[in-house]
Amino acid sequence: MLGLVVVSLMCFTAIFADVLAPYSYTKTNFGRLNEPPSGQHWLGTDQLGRDLLSRMIYGARISMIVGLGAQAIVVLIGVPIGALSGFVGGRLDLVLTRLIDVMYAFPRLLFVILLMSMLGAGLVNIFIAIGLTGWVFIARQTRAQMLAIKEKDFVGGARALGAGGWRILGRHLLPNAMTPIIVAVTFGIPEAIFTEAALSFIGVGINPPTPSWGQMVGEGQQYLRTYWHLCVFPSIAIAVTMLAFTFLGDGVRDAFDPRQN
Amino acid sequence: MATAPITDQQLDLLAERLGSVGVGRRDFLLVAAGLAAMSAEGFNARPVSAAPKLAPGEKLAKDQTFRYGGGGWYQYEPASQDFNKDLYCNGAVTLFAGLMKFNADFQAVPYMAEKVTSNTDGSVWTFTMRKDSRWSDGGPVTARDFEWSWKRQLDPATAAPYASFLYDIKNGEAFNKKQITDPNEVGVKARNDWTLEVTLEGPRGYFPVLAAYLAALPAHRASVEKYGDKWTEAANIVCNGPFTLEAWDHNKQMVLRKNKHFFGAKDVTLDKVIIPIIGVAAGALPYDNNEIDLTSLQVADLKRLQGDQRTARQVFRYPFPGTWYLLPQVTKPPFDNLKVRKAVAHAIDRENVIKVAQGFALPAHSMIPPGFPGALDDPKIRGLQKFDPKLAMSMLKGTPFEGGKNWPKIVLSMRDEALGAKPLAEAVQAVLLENLNMKTELEVLEPRVFRERLWKQDLQFVWIRWFMDYPDPHNEYFDTFYGKKTTGRRQAWTNADFDRELEAGRDTRDTKARLAHYARAEEIMQTDVGYVPVAWVVRYAAAKPWVRGIERNKQGEMVVEGNIYLNMLPNLYMVERT
Repeated sequence: MLGLVVVSLMCFTAIFADVLAPYSYTKTNFGRLNEPPSGQHWLGTDQLGRDLLSRMIYGARISMIVGLGAQAIVVLIGVPIGALSGFVGGRLDLVLTRLIDVMYAFPRLLFVILLMSMLGAGLVNIFIAIGLTGWVFIARQTRAQMLAIKEKDFVGGARALGAGGWRILGRHLLPNAMTPIIVAVTFGIPEAIFTEAALSFIGVGINPPTPSWGQMVGEGQQYLRTYWHLCVFPSIAIAVTMLAFTFLGDGVRDAFDPRQN
Repeated sequence: MATAPITDQQLDLLAERLGSVGVGRRDFLLVAAGLAAMSAEGFNARPVSAAPKLAPGEKLAKDQTFRYGGGGWYQYEPASQDFNKDLYCNGAVTLFAGLMKFNADFQAVPYMAEKVTSNTDGSVWTFTMRKDSRWSDGGPVTARDFEWSWKRQLDPATAAPYASFLYDIKNGEAFNKKQITDPNEVGVKARNDWTLEVTLEGPRGYFPVLAAYLAALPAHRASVEKYGDKWTEAANIVCNGPFTLEAWDHNKQMVLRKNKHFFGAKDVTLDKVIIPIIGVAAGALPYDNNEIDLTSLQVADLKRLQGDQRTARQVFRYPFPGTWYLLPQVTKPPFDNLKVRKAVAHAIDRENVIKVAQGFALPAHSMIPPGFPGALDDPKIRGLQKFDPKLAMSMLKGTPFEGGKNWPKIVLSMRDEALGAKPLAEAVQAVLLENLNMKTELEVLEPRVFRERLWKQDLQFVWIRWFMDYPDPHNEYFDTFYGKKTTGRRQAWTNADFDRELEAGRDTRDTKARLAHYARAEEIMQTDVGYVPVAWVVRYAAAKPWVRGIERNKQGEMVVEGNIYLNMLPNLYMVERT
């Protein structure tokens, strides 16, 4: 529940960033660099004199876009592959499963960094990189569900009534396999957000001046001893978001879990 | 004393030679200054260091142990101490002494040599060795050591990565490239123990300057022959510099001890030097904890130390001349439009931009920083890029970008590096957005990728620096912007008039006339906006109050050890802590 509240708040912040942020995220003030939190700048200013709170609010938007956008790609790739693999079976299943295994074998973050350095930094490229590496888990989940559900009686019934393969897949199998997919997506969002933060932290994620929490932590950590606020506030934002999504994911899983009801 | 005058062709040759080594140039030498110094001051040997000056009530410390490093200095484990084989080995430079050395004004003065003469055209140089200096094993340092060392560096079997520094020596290049095999044909010869005769490929008036550079340091023959690559381990090494290597705790620290066989040992006050290997991420923490006595400072620590009353006076600026500037690529829109480039030049609020560097930058209006030959304080030059947001915006009139609209996607590229380069770039982005509504994306590239794309002139908009190699405008303009350069050219921009001024500057003898050529070159370049100067670089260090003897240059700035000035340690002394 707490997770849901925080996540809703996050979404709200992200959507209404333009209204909520007290300053523009690019507005510099070279006369007021690295100021600690004050009444005027609630979280202080950064090394270009920009309002830290405003940058974090816009950073929330970036994080949410990355989380949702990357997961959309993940679902778009992962679900069809998993569904086909499980539903069609046979040789196609074998080939796709091996592909999934191969993808699994790559260290995820390393692969993302590799893709990012090939594609170059940028928001869309982050979607692509996270999407291309993140679909395997969902594909596997979907395939397992397919295998389980397609043997069920109601599927046999539909088949007996003369339903075609696509109809069975679309109307009977996928809807019934949605639960674990939704849970996986809920857990995938914070992972994507965190991956973006990690990428921006090491400097291959979002390009300045677009604010990103990871980038803010990365730049701020050099000044940790002198200007603590630069690093600490974005770090807290990342941590809280991760936690909220994890709670939410747990909640969603519990809600869908038949054994608990 | 007979020294041949240096012609400009020779300077060009030197520039070329340096260029062929790539990375080596910056660290190389302050050629012109060195040369000027030689003619001005001659080659009189002087004491290796000044005597300690104690204030009333001050006492020399009993324990003359000095510890330094951090903030970028000695941040990596040295590959070896074998400068003769690899001048970028990152070892302790004070272990070896060359024929010449650079003083605090970056001028070449005699060191292991006591006299330097040449034939009339400067193609044969004779170094007369001082007879009172010995290796740390007690053996004499002779001309034969240098003959052997230089040939060792040139020997293809040694595989020295920067051997091309010695290609001025006759047949040096041929020998190094295996075109000849007989080392006796290489033009360096010890006529006897105390006379080294160096025959060059042609007139090279700057050769004594080369002899002061890292590349010309000697190695100890017997040790090399006995221990091979392990000869610079603490147990094996034999040195001829003011200090010897007492211990080398790999990846941790080096401990140096005064070399009592060194000719100037009586003038050296320090007894022991400890150089811990400290990653740059540690910042000034070791300094705060009194674990080191002298450190280089990064941005974050400078402010903190300056802001603290107890440490503010320990901080000082040291010379590290360099210039940050923007390269709008004239082959790529929107910068193919001169009006856009002019708008950019006038839109940069330098006074404010440099504030984010927090002391590590000064606003720049031309290539050469103040205090160096060729520095321009001409109102005409200042006017060419004067910050004026209204003027900047008005420049866009009649272009597709009038009123700051319709900008294409603009990517500002820079190299990944420390020293607060990124905040400066971001500040530039901010002022361009504010004053021209020009949105830019900052792309930080891995150094190798950056260099590759830079030299292909593939980048649209570049944030880049030039660190001065030697204080002569030839370095700041010719080596950087000359349009006929075939390798390592950073910008697509060329200008025939500009090139002509550079050539004239190179070929002119009279200093005043030369500088006038470079001033015109700067004016042409800024009028055509081949580059946009933004900031000059400065660096900082901090020394504990008990550290004394840091030399000052003619401008009164304290000078600390770098790749050119290697002579810091013999001058230092410690006083009792109060």
